[in-house]
Amino acid sequence: MTKPEIICVGCPLGCRVTLTVGPDSRIENMAGNRCREGEKYVAAEFQNPARVFTATVLTESGDRRLLPVKTDRPVPKSRLKELSRAVAGMRIKPAVGIGQEIAHDILGTGANLVSTGTLSG
Amino acid sequence: MSREEVDVAVIGGGPAGLAAAVKAREAGLDNVIVIERSEYLGGLLDQCIHNGFGLFYFGEDLTGPEYGRRFIEKASDLGVKSLLNSMVVRLSPDRKLLISSHTGLTSLSAKSVVLAMGCRERTRGSLCLSGTRAAGILTAGTAQRYVNIYGYIPGREVVILGSGDVGMIMARRLTLEGATVKAVVEVLPYVGGLIRNEVQCLYDFNIPLLLEHTVTEIHGKERVEAVTVARVDKKWNPIAGTERVITCDTLLLSVGLIPENELSRSIGVELDPVSGGPVVDSAMETSLSGIFAGGNVLHVNDLVDNVSREAELAGASAAAFAKEEIKQRKPRVRLIAGENVRYAVPQVVSIGDDVTLSVRVREPAENVRLKVGNIINQSLRVVKPSQIVPVIVTAEDWSKINGVVYEMLISCESRR
Repeated sequence: MTKPEIICVGCPLGCRVTLTVGPDSRIENMAGNRCREGEKYVAAEFQNPARVFTATVLTESGDRRLLPVKTDRPVPKSRLKELSRAVAGMRIKPAVGIGQEIAHDILGTGANLVSTGTLSG
Repeated sequence: MSREEVDVAVIGGGPAGLAAAVKAREAGLDNVIVIERSEYLGGLLDQCIHNGFGLFYFGEDLTGPEYGRRFIEKASDLGVKSLLNSMVVRLSPDRKLLISSHTGLTSLSAKSVVLAMGCRERTRGSLCLSGTRAAGILTAGTAQRYVNIYGYIPGREVVILGSGDVGMIMARRLTLEGATVKAVVEVLPYVGGLIRNEVQCLYDFNIPLLLEHTVTEIHGKERVEAVTVARVDKKWNPIAGTERVITCDTLLLSVGLIPENELSRSIGVELDPVSGGPVVDSAMETSLSGIFAGGNVLHVNDLVDNVSREAELAGASAAAFAKEEIKQRKPRVRLIAGENVRYAVPQVVSIGDDVTLSVRVREPAENVRLKVGNIINQSLRVVKPSQIVPVIVTAEDWSKINGVVYEMLISCESRR
């Protein structure tokens, strides 16, 4: 049995929530949260902590040196550094519109890397 | 020198200026112009590549460039004019602007003006940090620009002084770019920025957070080589014997933002010494008739969503003024900051107006009662200096006023 602590970011209270987790990784008890919303957040954060990954990629355009990008859905938190190394090797050719896919199912995360800016020639 | 006449001149093309210009144009004015000193519109948003923007305004989780793009496109679709690489060097109370650009000086006469100059970062100079003047000391926002716009990583081993949002965002960003953030040092007993940044930028990456600590000295001649950090007492004085040296090649400063009001000051707009911005009424009008203000020039907001909302009101009011639609003035009350309130914007409110007050508290507190005179009394679970408390005042609230009132105390009292 483990007792991980998760800080809820649902509101400025920032409750420190202690979980009691059974051997099958099931949450058996939750203490420290002060609302139901927090309970949902903490359970999700325990089971699958995920974040939208954002970065920049180098361009092959005189328009701008870097193009901002993001994953179109949250990816596992544990893979952020790996994703950062992957995009460091990319070079993007113009033209790119906002929302355009840069890489499909990046590193098998199920998320697509999309542009959050525009790149002209 | 060329001269032009416009309906509404908006000074600054960041999120505030764009929102104000869009509203003014939507109010039906033909000639709305945004004057922007940099080479593109959108202000700071382009370098804020992270997400978390627009959750309130659009109900969507956007990155900075995406949030900015929506307003830039809207402004462009509506035919808002913009002058880029153009700086307003002089403004007069009768709303004449002198603009400097690569084509020389231009003079502009506006029926109304919106101040939307935003804010800038506090620098080392305002901290009186002792030590050498080595390379490698920069503000968090400058580092953000280097990394996200120019593609330069400012250093390999970084210490960040201050735990404002930009500082924490850069702690994560630099970590992902391969640098080591050795510590975030905060003089207060709590983090200066938002809780989600504390968790997702610092704890996610195990970045050490030193609360109630400060940097007492910077070492290194040509380049930063280390900083000395020390624990501080309640008055922020370093405690002798607690010093330790952290080797690093870069020191980032995330120690607060200052509304940029040199232009406002030059024409005698009344400024609030606490918020750092103009004193405005519930229409976002400054002490000078026909000159309005919105966004971070007014006070430093927590979220861009609030900047947009405030600036839209400034834009709508500027349009009404230009169309000579300003209604008869109602009696006004001045809000006075009371217990645990640093400031409230607007500072002056017309009785009867529907208005959203942006209230900034001094200290974090739980289970408080927020009171505005005798018209508002609401309980709040938690307040923090890092988050603006929005307080909505409606006609029904105003009906509770008895007799003639000139001032109202706004307070945030701990329930005992």
